[in-house]
Amino acid sequence: MKLIKAIVRPNKVDEVKEALGKLSISGMTVTEVRGHGKQKGHTAVYRGKEYNVSLLPKMEIEVVVSDGIVDETIRAIIQAARTGEIGDGRVFVIPVEHAYRIRTGEKEAI
Amino acid sequence: MPASAFARLDAARKELSAQAARGEAGRIALERFSGRVDELIQQLFEDAPRSSSAVAVFALGGYGRRHLCLHSDVDVLVLFGGPIGGTDEQFLRGLLHPLWDQGLDVSHQIRELDDFARLDTSNPTFLPALGDARPVAGSSALFDRVAAFLDATEPRAFIVESLSRLIDERHASFNDTRYQLEPNVKDAPGALRDLTALRTIARVTEPALLDRLPAGRASLEEAEDFLLRIRSILHLDARRNQNVLDHEMQEKVAQVFRYPGATPRQRVERLMSEYFRHARSVSRALEWTRRMAPMPVGRNLVRSRDGVRFVDPAEARTRPESWLHVFQAALDSGSPVADEAIGLIQDHVNRYVAEDFYPAAGDRAALLAFLKPRPGLYARLSEMHDCGLLGGMFPEFAAISCRVVRDFYHKYTVDEHTLLAIRNLERLATPSTPSREHFAALLADLRAPELLVLALLFHDVGKWRDEEHASESVRMARQVLERLRLPAADCELVEFLIEHHLRMSVSAFRRDTEDPEIVRQFAELVGIEERLKMLCLMTLVDVDAVSPETLTPWREELLWRLYVDTYNHLTLGYGDDVIDRTQTGLSELMTRRPSHLSESAIRQFVEGLPRRYLRLFTPEAVYQHVQLARDIQPDHVHAALEQKGPTWEVTVVTLDKPFLFSNICGVLSSLGMDILRGQAMTNPNGLVLDHFEFADRERFLELNADGRAHFLRALEAVVSGERDVTARLRAREQSVLYHRTGIPRFPPVIHCDNHSSRRYTILDIIANDAVGLLHRISRVISHHGCEVDLVLIGTEGEKAIDVFHITAKGAKLTDTEQMELTADLTRMLEGNDEVDQGHRATQ
Repeated sequence: MKLIKAIVRPNKVDEVKEALGKLSISGMTVTEVRGHGKQKGHTAVYRGKEYNVSLLPKMEIEVVVSDGIVDETIRAIIQAARTGEIGDGRVFVIPVEHAYRIRTGEKEAI
Repeated sequence: MPASAFARLDAARKELSAQAARGEAGRIALERFSGRVDELIQQLFEDAPRSSSAVAVFALGGYGRRHLCLHSDVDVLVLFGGPIGGTDEQFLRGLLHPLWDQGLDVSHQIRELDDFARLDTSNPTFLPALGDARPVAGSSALFDRVAAFLDATEPRAFIVESLSRLIDERHASFNDTRYQLEPNVKDAPGALRDLTALRTIARVTEPALLDRLPAGRASLEEAEDFLLRIRSILHLDARRNQNVLDHEMQEKVAQVFRYPGATPRQRVERLMSEYFRHARSVSRALEWTRRMAPMPVGRNLVRSRDGVRFVDPAEARTRPESWLHVFQAALDSGSPVADEAIGLIQDHVNRYVAEDFYPAAGDRAALLAFLKPRPGLYARLSEMHDCGLLGGMFPEFAAISCRVVRDFYHKYTVDEHTLLAIRNLERLATPSTPSREHFAALLADLRAPELLVLALLFHDVGKWRDEEHASESVRMARQVLERLRLPAADCELVEFLIEHHLRMSVSAFRRDTEDPEIVRQFAELVGIEERLKMLCLMTLVDVDAVSPETLTPWREELLWRLYVDTYNHLTLGYGDDVIDRTQTGLSELMTRRPSHLSESAIRQFVEGLPRRYLRLFTPEAVYQHVQLARDIQPDHVHAALEQKGPTWEVTVVTLDKPFLFSNICGVLSSLGMDILRGQAMTNPNGLVLDHFEFADRERFLELNADGRAHFLRALEAVVSGERDVTARLRAREQSVLYHRTGIPRFPPVIHCDNHSSRRYTILDIIANDAVGLLHRISRVISHHGCEVDLVLIGTEGEKAIDVFHITAKGAKLTDTEQMELTADLTRMLEGNDEVDQGHRATQ
């Protein structure tokens, strides 16, 4: 089982959710985050004053999927979130050791 | 003057002295003595030469209250019914000189009845003293006029406010305690002045308060008599107006009052414990009265502890147009509306239709003014909604009363969501986070923030039905706007905001705002900065009113970034988008044109101007500009000057030449005009259109009959080069009234940008607003050989925010040219004008 963490453009969240929905992945966590990658933000000017916009607003989507559909999931996320421009984001894949259901304390099968 | 009158006064003095010596010169004795002074004045009045108009003598202050002690000032007001003429001096001599000769300390005020035509707020003690006015001699009709003046709301409110301030100041001078070891029986807390003050407050607010005093009226009268008897002894002993009960006098007074005790100290203790008992009861009575007194806050309105209410409910019931005033007064005074007023409105609101609440233009203007966002507006609107007044005034709003729309986001009913959005707007007055300060600055910058509140009030009324609501909201709001008879441009703005109230959140949160095309499209939608600011604020407060969790700091940042990018697009790049033959809106302009303007004249004027020109000005204004441009010749100036509410607008059309913009700004500043906002545009034919909104703080145009003509002549003389405005302006800048210290309160910001526009170098300048600032800035620019093609002028509080689109020899400025210009501008803005002077010598 893998935790897939995708950092995407805010306006791409709905498309990613929809694409994941088509793979029958329903559980997910979406968080508003700020950050930068190679893009490193840019300098903005308002009323003559420059200010550095180094941390850009992004959305982080986390899903846990079984090993068998990891590649498919990653492909779906990339296809939905890609514009081709700098700043499209990242997908990280992290192994999951255990998972517990809080309500019952049951250990979930991995 | 018969000597007998003076003899009677002497006899009265002797009698009062004897009573004082026995400790009996209390209220009754002083009233008798005051009566004797009345008789003397009446006699002198009869004997004095005739005055040129009706005249009356009033007793004021302690004399007005008939509390004259032996050496009290005799305060009189001599009031003339007409203008005071030369012969009236004889009358005044005949009246006043004998009083002085008799050793009375007369303090007199001479006034004309016209002085009471308007409230004079410059003297905080006169009106409260007038509250004790009593006619002594002369025309009773004049007294009636003064009484009528004092009966009006404004003077009564002023009396209470002034008196409250005077009480606080006086008490502070006694360290706010009545327990003085050597008290002043007139001025100390709990002494005679407090007694007078509480009676005055009760008289001008609610006389029946005196009957409801917790300690009873009798205790006050007893205290008063006690204090007056002491004061009489003090005057007798000191032979002057002396009111301090010092240790030595305490022994004497205790002896006169025959307090028991073996030693003087024991007798003094009895006296002073009696004194403090009375001082305590006076202080408590004053505090109670100040707390309970219903303050007059408008016609038929008072504010008391439970809030603002109607004085006469029967009158209020029949005047629904006055109901808003109770909420306005509550808003002004930061109090709630009293339950009884809300109950009255609730009971009768259904008897009236919407128009009954704002039948006249004044009522409609008052309604708009009420909607200006400020702390308390939400609370008042909620009260209006609860009692049915909001729904009565606007049945469209009643349609969403308690309306439940189920979705994943909204936590409140539609009406409450709407009112909460307005609360969020009013809270921007005191921003809760640094990021909110950006938005607060936008709100402070709005020309008509009440229109934003109006748009908010109706942005969701279309939710009464289940389908798409924005267009239904617009339809319903249109009915409201028609009833309010707002100007067409204001209606269009409100409808725009309602129709597009979801657009900015969609663009900011659901589109890629890094994409310039998204920003361009959004900029195209809003067109001008004012609409952008309003829509941005509307989005902020609307989203924030969905639920406490909806507007995260993250979303707030996205919204702000879209605002900044769009603002930059509108203000920096607009010079590239000019009107051409295919421009939308041109055909409408042609269709509606007046018969005396040809299509070609309009085309020739507008083509080549930035496209925002058509968004900024109504067709009527465009026609006026075209008319002004007709037959314009070099050095000619065609201008139109108009008063728009508290400000003025001038439109100037002329042909371009070096230093033109600087000179026009210079004329405005040299006449004392404060430029608030403006636009300068140039079309490819060299035709210049400058539009300024300015405040005439010195009221030059209002006070001078030929002010307008003078203004327009000055423009022509300066533009044609006949007159040098710089020297004239320099004299004004160096005037003691406007002298610049040369030290800016914050460092100026100068930013050159060669990227935002294809054609222009954009020069952004933020600096402390000052007399002639625009003139000096643009003069430096012109000295550098730059052409000023487009200018946006704005102010935000003390900040001047100006954006210049400039070129040098038809091209953008090189890096070196930018650096040289920036350096000179910085020197000038930091207060060193040598650069300007140096250039002038070589001009």
